[in-house]
Amino acid sequence: MKNLSTILATLVLVFAFMNSASAEDWKVSATAKKKLNPYELSKKNISSGKKVYQTNCKSCHGDPTKANMLPLVPAPTDLGSQNFLVQSDGEIYHKIKTGKGAMPTFENTLNDESKWMVIAYLRSFDKNKKKAVVAKAVVNPEVIDVKIELNVDADNKKLRAQLTGLKKDGKRVGLEGIEMSFLVKRTFGQLDISGEEAYTNANGELLIQFPTDLPGDREGQVDLLVKLTDEDNYGPVEEKRVLSIAVPTNPKNPLDERAMWGTRANAPIWIIASYVLGVIGIWSVIFLVLFQVFQLSKMRVKS
Amino acid sequence: MTQKTSDKGRRNFLKSFGVTVGAAGVVSSFSLLGAAKAAAQEPEEMVNLLTADGQLVQVDKNQLRPTVNEPLNELQRRGREGIAGKSFVMVIDLSKCRNARKCMAACQNHHQLRPEQHHINVLQMQDSDHTAPYFMPKPCQHCDNPPCTKVCPVDATFKRQDGIVLIDNERCIGCRFCIAACPYSARIFQWTEPKDAEKYKDLTYNIEANVPQKKGTVSKCLFSADRLREDKLPSCVSACPNGVYYFGDRNEDAVTNGTSGETVRFSKLIEDNAGYTLMEELGTKPRVYYLPPKNRAFEFNGDLLNEENLH
Repeated sequence: MKNLSTILATLVLVFAFMNSASAEDWKVSATAKKKLNPYELSKKNISSGKKVYQTNCKSCHGDPTKANMLPLVPAPTDLGSQNFLVQSDGEIYHKIKTGKGAMPTFENTLNDESKWMVIAYLRSFDKNKKKAVVAKAVVNPEVIDVKIELNVDADNKKLRAQLTGLKKDGKRVGLEGIEMSFLVKRTFGQLDISGEEAYTNANGELLIQFPTDLPGDREGQVDLLVKLTDEDNYGPVEEKRVLSIAVPTNPKNPLDERAMWGTRANAPIWIIASYVLGVIGIWSVIFLVLFQVFQLSKMRVKS
Repeated sequence: MTQKTSDKGRRNFLKSFGVTVGAAGVVSSFSLLGAAKAAAQEPEEMVNLLTADGQLVQVDKNQLRPTVNEPLNELQRRGREGIAGKSFVMVIDLSKCRNARKCMAACQNHHQLRPEQHHINVLQMQDSDHTAPYFMPKPCQHCDNPPCTKVCPVDATFKRQDGIVLIDNERCIGCRFCIAACPYSARIFQWTEPKDAEKYKDLTYNIEANVPQKKGTVSKCLFSADRLREDKLPSCVSACPNGVYYFGDRNEDAVTNGTSGETVRFSKLIEDNAGYTLMEELGTKPRVYYLPPKNRAFEFNGDLLNEENLH
């Protein structure tokens, strides 16, 4: 029994070693290595890369730098670690594209743009390249009771949201560089109107132009929800409001018009008229003929 | 025939009996809740009612309400009217369709169809000899100028105020004029007893789902009108694993992707991707829009050698 467990342990170790050896043996051609990310490391690209990462990569690799990957053998790499990020953009791209062993291929499931966005997201953890991120990282003071204050300029259709938090000394300060989502309720989902760079400024303020041509209900009302896009930092913070700044829309009922495709009750007048006239015409001809025949027989009696 | 009539009579009796007993149960529970009230006011007259669990109870006559009207009529009425203020549209992104056929399975499940019967079908398309083949899901186009409703001799198929074209299987006489008139071949005919006919024979007919299906009548895609009433996306839209379908209200200028749940402006989606409709030269004004199959992230894996597969 003891022997068996020793053998098993040895086997496991050997396999683990073989696997780790093969993982390091992931050859990427020199031309593939030279590929550069065509998308810049902007906040927007990083944030869309984060979305792709969370739906496609997180289930195995966990969060970058947090080392909470699935306990597989071989263990999935922590994609935020500096050991991983020494690789070139092209190398990472190639690995996402082809996959190897337990790592699936994403050639057909992610388009090129999404793959590069993920790389942009991972690069945001790279200590050497972090400087390239367009907006500098902001350190906000530690705060509690974070809330969103919304001011609406109905004439110009502008929305001003201010994100503030209570500091430990009881002072309320604006939080900088936080992404917010402005969502308008539609029948089957929330329409995001925040635009591309929806980050708060130094005062915690964010100015959004409400779309001038977005339809609302009959009075031009829409349900607006303002919230933090990323709930990781301050938890779910949101503000709901009914605004009367959309275009008032009177829904057209196609059944109000008479049309060929309508049922009998909605038939066009000309069809009803021509049908009725046709029926009357045909029956009058028949009656006329019968009447004339009757007249003929009457004439015979007279003569 | 006589057997059928008697069977129906018994079914009606059972149905009305069930409704009465159910109503008695409801009324009695109301009366229990309002017991304090009843005690305060001297009841004029008490009546005996049997509850659903077999207890004989007394109820104040003033608290009795007539039973609801027959549910079939209500379903028919609201099914004919449609949902006020809505104008439903669908957008199908051909660049994402890889023939998973989950839409078809979900649809057939919802509308009690056999595997060979299609309210929505994924077709393999090749427009001409040297063009790239692609997959094209094809539901009813819910035309704003539908040729099918024009030819119906009995007002069985009709367009509602929210733009959906429906058929009433209780009215349909099975003449199949609408099948002949439809340029998109969107309608099917129930030649044989429908799938699970025996299982669903006691189900109240729902005009917004065409269930239970009826032999000898025409059936068609309904944009899952019964689900729309609960603000749910149609079955095919929610079942798609590849983000092919967008569905929404044109009055709100927004469509929602059934896979990702992302909501986008309808006009912008169509403008940015050169959206088009099928056979618009016929003047049918379809409500289903297509985005061309460009920038596909996968290879076409259809079977084009078999000519039967090509459309």
